[in-house]
Amino acid sequence: MSSPGTTQAPSTADGPGSRIVFRDISKFYGEVLGINRVNLDIGPGLTSLVGPNGSGKSTLMHLMTGLLQPTGGSIRVLGLDPGDVEALFRKLGYCTQYDSFPHGATGLGFLLTTLRLHGLEPADAEAAAWAALERVGLGDAAHRRIAGYSKGMRQRIKLAQAHCHDPQVLVLDEPLNGLDPMARSEMIGLMREWAVSGRHVIVSSHILHEVNAISDAVILIHGGSIMAEGEIRAVRGQITSHPIQVLVRCDRPSVVASRAFEMADVTEARILDGDEGLLVRTRDAEGFFRAMNRLVLDNELDIETVAPADEDVQAVYEYLIGGGAA
Amino acid sequence: MSRSDTSRRLGLWRHWPWRLWVRQVLALARYELGRALLRRRAAPVYVLIGLPILVGIGVVILPDPEMRESLVAAGRLFAGTFHFFFLRFVVFFGCAGLFINLFRGEILDRSLHYLLLAPIRREVLVVGKLAGGLAASVVLFVPTALVTMVCFHLPNGIGPTARYLLAGPGLGQALAYAAVVVLGCIGYGSIFLLAGLFFKNPMIPAGLFLAWELATPFMPKILKAISIIHYLVSLEPIPVDEGPVAILTSPVAPWLAVLALLAVSLGAVVLAGWRIRGLEISYTTE
Repeated sequence: MSSPGTTQAPSTADGPGSRIVFRDISKFYGEVLGINRVNLDIGPGLTSLVGPNGSGKSTLMHLMTGLLQPTGGSIRVLGLDPGDVEALFRKLGYCTQYDSFPHGATGLGFLLTTLRLHGLEPADAEAAAWAALERVGLGDAAHRRIAGYSKGMRQRIKLAQAHCHDPQVLVLDEPLNGLDPMARSEMIGLMREWAVSGRHVIVSSHILHEVNAISDAVILIHGGSIMAEGEIRAVRGQITSHPIQVLVRCDRPSVVASRAFEMADVTEARILDGDEGLLVRTRDAEGFFRAMNRLVLDNELDIETVAPADEDVQAVYEYLIGGGAA
Repeated sequence: MSRSDTSRRLGLWRHWPWRLWVRQVLALARYELGRALLRRRAAPVYVLIGLPILVGIGVVILPDPEMRESLVAAGRLFAGTFHFFFLRFVVFFGCAGLFINLFRGEILDRSLHYLLLAPIRREVLVVGKLAGGLAASVVLFVPTALVTMVCFHLPNGIGPTARYLLAGPGLGQALAYAAVVVLGCIGYGSIFLLAGLFFKNPMIPAGLFLAWELATPFMPKILKAISIIHYLVSLEPIPVDEGPVAILTSPVAPWLAVLALLAVSLGAVVLAGWRIRGLEISYTTE
């Protein structure tokens, strides 16, 4: 499955130079298959890589950033080969899963080294390092050694390291791990801000409700293969084996239920306990919504909600990959 | 090569981002210097440099009678100690400890990826690391060698020793020993940097390399030429007798020795750059 643009974020261009493209990428670790003939085309915006542990999320990210070499196929990040490190890493920042840091480094020293390796003059590096530290809320801990940071602070300094040079592409491997709810909310806000500004933000996660809340698009990966890719709603629409669930809340759900049973594409209509509404399963959601419009007008129903109940990552994940969703 | 080829290459040379590379090398050298000198993994190197200083102090307290004969005799004794102990043992193992860890240490610490995620040409990365390791080794070994040298001459009295080392032939010898240490660090450092990149357990190749270096006095000239110590010996200011079974060959001209050691270093940078281009970050297999 491939998708066109995967975001509502503004984009200056839509050619291959503005996208991240995987063509027939495979990666073997010895004889063990890591990634199997992956084709992806990722546009700007926030794209989530979703899959269980060991599914190949980090392998994809490592391949995108040149930390792994593909066994076959080709990758272009904004038109650049990941081997062209001098050009690539001016445009890309990567927050890896590794919870390790240069020995003895302070938060500020860590970022200063990173920025000086980017070629910044000392004064510019210092200004950019402080800006990045303030952005992730670590200004007060700048001079402390990273070894003494909490898990959440270490996660934040990694995020600062990934974005301190203001890259166009941010690849973030489980960036919310270890963050407390307040910090999570701040980081999600930051990621959304980056995405809305037209950057590519690629986030891996196995926490599905978070993915659902933040993503413009998802890539579902399982066993090294891409199960689905694109906007969540579009992906859900392509899963024809599971009728779409629509939740209807109104003053007379029994009326809606009786009319729903008359529709050919409706497979189930069930009134939920405790005034929770009516749950309808249909193979043609658009048709059902049109029929609901007529029904409301004909019967003067007082409608509170008509909304898809399983147009989210959690449902897509369960339908395509099966149980075990987080 | 045609004139247009030459001018194209010269143009490329001019357009290479030298200032950026210099900044990156300095940033890396600074980073490595701190890592090499201030971390726990450097402890064995500090123990190593303590040994010749201990020997030097011992010589001051309980001097060999030969040392007291003359400053020249003291210089001869130091030459032997420098060659057999300082160069072949302290510098060799010290460089092993410092340079193997330039890459291997970061792989074990799982922090190498931060450098690989920087927009830095891989050869520049190697040069920066090498420069940092070199700075650390020179800071540690050159003063140690000079302090030991002073200790060996002190039994002849402070005044004569000062005159000999500051205004006499001792000054040239001291500079020559310092140069030998620096070149030793360049030669051994380059080899050990490579070992740290190519081998998960670099101590095995380091052991084989040590055996080769120890065996060079007994090798024919053609085999001596593929060692580091052969070139360093040629630069030592006072020749040392390597024993009755050593195969004597004419020393290498100093300029050739320096060139050979720099060539080893250049080769190491190229090889290491090539290796890093294909390096994959998969810490779990290390």
